[in-house]
Amino acid sequence: MSWAQIAIDGIALGAAYALVALGFVLILNATGAVNFAQGDLVMAGGFAAIVLAGLLPLEGIAVPGLALAPLVAVAGGGAGWLIAEIAYRPLRHRPPVAVFISTIAVGIMLQHGANGWFGAAERRTPPLIAGDALDLAGLTVTRQSLAIVATAAAVILLLHVLLERTQLGRRLRAAAEDAEMARALGIPVRRLTALAFALGAGLAALAGLLLANVYFVTPTAGLAFMLKAYIAVTIGGWGSLRGAVAGAFLVALFEMIAGRLFSASLADALLYAALLAVLLLRPQGLFGEAAGRRA
Amino acid sequence: MSARGALAALGAAPLWLLAAAGVAAYGTVAGNYELRLLAIGGCYALAVLGYQFIFGRVGALSLAQGAFFGLGAYASALMALKLGWDFARSFPAAIALSVILAAVVGGTVLRLASHYFALATLAVAELLHILAVDWVSLTGGGNGLPSVPGFVVAHWIVPGGWPATLLVWGCVALGALIATNFSASLYGDGARLLRAEPLAAAAAGIDADARRMAGFVLSAAFGAAGGALYVHTLGVVSPEALQFDVMVLILCMAVIGGRNSVAGAILGALLLVHLPEWFRAFEGWALFAYGAGLLLVVIAAPEGIAGAVAALWRRWFGPPPLPAVPKTAPTAASGRPDDRAILAARALGIAFGGNEALAGATFFVRPGEILGVIGPNGSGKTTVLNLLSGFYRPDRGRILFDGRDVTALPAWRRAQLGLARSFQHGALAADLTALDNVAVAAGRARIADVLRMPGRDRKRRRARARASAALDAAGAADLAGKRGADLTASERRRVEMARALVAEPKVILLDEPAAGLSDAEKGSLRTVLRGIAARGIGVVVVDHGMPFLLPLAHRVICLDAGRIIAAGSPSEIAAEPEVRRAYLGGVPVA
Repeated sequence: MSWAQIAIDGIALGAAYALVALGFVLILNATGAVNFAQGDLVMAGGFAAIVLAGLLPLEGIAVPGLALAPLVAVAGGGAGWLIAEIAYRPLRHRPPVAVFISTIAVGIMLQHGANGWFGAAERRTPPLIAGDALDLAGLTVTRQSLAIVATAAAVILLLHVLLERTQLGRRLRAAAEDAEMARALGIPVRRLTALAFALGAGLAALAGLLLANVYFVTPTAGLAFMLKAYIAVTIGGWGSLRGAVAGAFLVALFEMIAGRLFSASLADALLYAALLAVLLLRPQGLFGEAAGRRA
Repeated sequence: MSARGALAALGAAPLWLLAAAGVAAYGTVAGNYELRLLAIGGCYALAVLGYQFIFGRVGALSLAQGAFFGLGAYASALMALKLGWDFARSFPAAIALSVILAAVVGGTVLRLASHYFALATLAVAELLHILAVDWVSLTGGGNGLPSVPGFVVAHWIVPGGWPATLLVWGCVALGALIATNFSASLYGDGARLLRAEPLAAAAAGIDADARRMAGFVLSAAFGAAGGALYVHTLGVVSPEALQFDVMVLILCMAVIGGRNSVAGAILGALLLVHLPEWFRAFEGWALFAYGAGLLLVVIAAPEGIAGAVAALWRRWFGPPPLPAVPKTAPTAASGRPDDRAILAARALGIAFGGNEALAGATFFVRPGEILGVIGPNGSGKTTVLNLLSGFYRPDRGRILFDGRDVTALPAWRRAQLGLARSFQHGALAADLTALDNVAVAAGRARIADVLRMPGRDRKRRRARARASAALDAAGAADLAGKRGADLTASERRRVEMARALVAEPKVILLDEPAAGLSDAEKGSLRTVLRGIAARGIGVVVVDHGMPFLLPLAHRVICLDAGRIIAAGSPSEIAAEPEVRRAYLGGVPVA
């Protein structure tokens, strides 16, 4: 593989990671809590796509994966809503570590639920766009890579418009900033936190659909996705949406380049070592911490 | 004595006897397979007991406990296979290795905020896992290390079955003893305050970094001990021992059993080790059930099964009787009111993001003097207290206390030097009695105290005696046996006052002690404060209203928008036009 090839694959991987990391930050900002199930939701999104593909007549369609995307996102959103009501709401007045643990519990249930249901074997989702790879000036660019980047870009743009340009987005940000004040102003905080969970989980599930065609999916894949989103958000600046996207691309490019130079597992090891270095030297993230210093 | 009273007086001892009898009875019918399962439960119980130090007692979510377990397993196995060491040598060596790793890692990551600490410990765990998979020549890679010898102690091969199981459970008993001592020591009480109220712990002279480090190192030692026992019980080790699943299992055991209870750790470990055996038919779904159980317990019983049982016990039999505590009268007034300042601020300033919260304040307080600090909301009153007590580092200016510059000292050091403070909301640990909430500030606890049996722990006894006297002095003697969770806001503040007094401070800083009190209560609070000052202690009282402070204080300074706009005697302050303007919002004073 040439370096240009690696850059293209890295960007596609980064685009998918960006969705996962954005979902992580949306939930973080709305609740102040880490959603440890974020990676398992990616995995669950992959399996949801596989189940839906079996139910729907996708045989002759040119864009089987893209046709599934809205359904997978909605299914993920429903799961997020459930998580908000079951694993977050009863614990909202307790220290953040309680939600950390309850989402670990959700992650365990997703992972072992998938394992009990589908078994441990690798599976793959249908391609987003059917057809062979394209040849662009000597570079082989798979349609899947292009479609991942395009889909992720469209979703990130939509999310940006939703958060920055609509009343709903302003309310969402207000509720995240100060839930008590927002409640006093008549903003339905409960529904908005549930919405943040739904958006966050929907993004994760969508990323699962995007990734599981190239990289396959197994029930135990969640932890790696969770770690990568968590690392992306940490180096991008805790609580920053832009930082999460930038961090996701950095993590993905690092993974591809180090994987090419060494091996996949050494690339992971170097990523964790780099994370520890960042935490020790620049705990506010590479681009500064948006959420501010916490006492 | 009623039957209930008799039962309550016996405490938990019969339960332990019953449990031991149950295990013995189980042993008579158990085959080798069951005994092995029991031994594996013991290995996990030790790891969970260790996890409670960092996660339960200190309250930091470490995700490295599985890694310490796996490290202990690999280290002991490798020393047995490559160096030919017997268990008597590889066991302590494996623990030492894990402790060294924890000390190195903890030295840096323990300072991180909780969400970063969790991530950093997870990253360390994943690094170890990768190492175990990839360093094939040492670890055997994905296949792991087969034929690890069993327990060999000084050329004696401990037979499998009962002897090996007893060896494991002997270690568990020793671990449980250390954990019990920790809970019942001044050191452990301090850790509980640290978990519940980190700022209050610092104000009580507790060094958070050192105590977190102790918790982390203990967790690593116990984790490695569990892992080393595990590998010699099983005879093999593979990278699975370092997978995140082990961490998750230990977390589930700790939360479901009870994150702060020794019995809970053992119960959780035994329960989760045996559940898959009891539900063989649902193989594969057992871990799903762990997840569901974890979620259920986190929501419905935050202190786990052991905590729920303890709560029921308290409801049926009432709170445990307070130990008889002799009162140690506070030492007589050491200093007399004199003219030399005990605490002084020189041109103290701090800004938050460009907003100047305090702009060069200079003031002092003498021994035995009550200094009132008034000002409208947002004028910088609490900022002054946070600077003096060491929670904020000033951008400029100096703080002198008892003849030395303390500007660079952390809050807990200043507290140890005799600078005490209270908080607006009455910061107490919910699960400690008022007596113990005060006692944590009365003695200098050390980790070595944990090696002393509770009955012989004179340090805690002395601390409780002084705490009891301090509660008397703060008018809170009747609250001694109540838990922090059961106190009202004004009761909590009285207990806090006692905690501030118990270390015989030279200066005491009080943040709005009169907020929410009735006029009668304010009157008795004034009497208490005058009594404190009469003992030669400098008192700084912050309040936003004049009616409480003016009759009380010897001198008053008035803050507005981060500046001292007036200073003087109460009557001078009351007459000062600047002060009235600040309070009345710019209305010209006639």
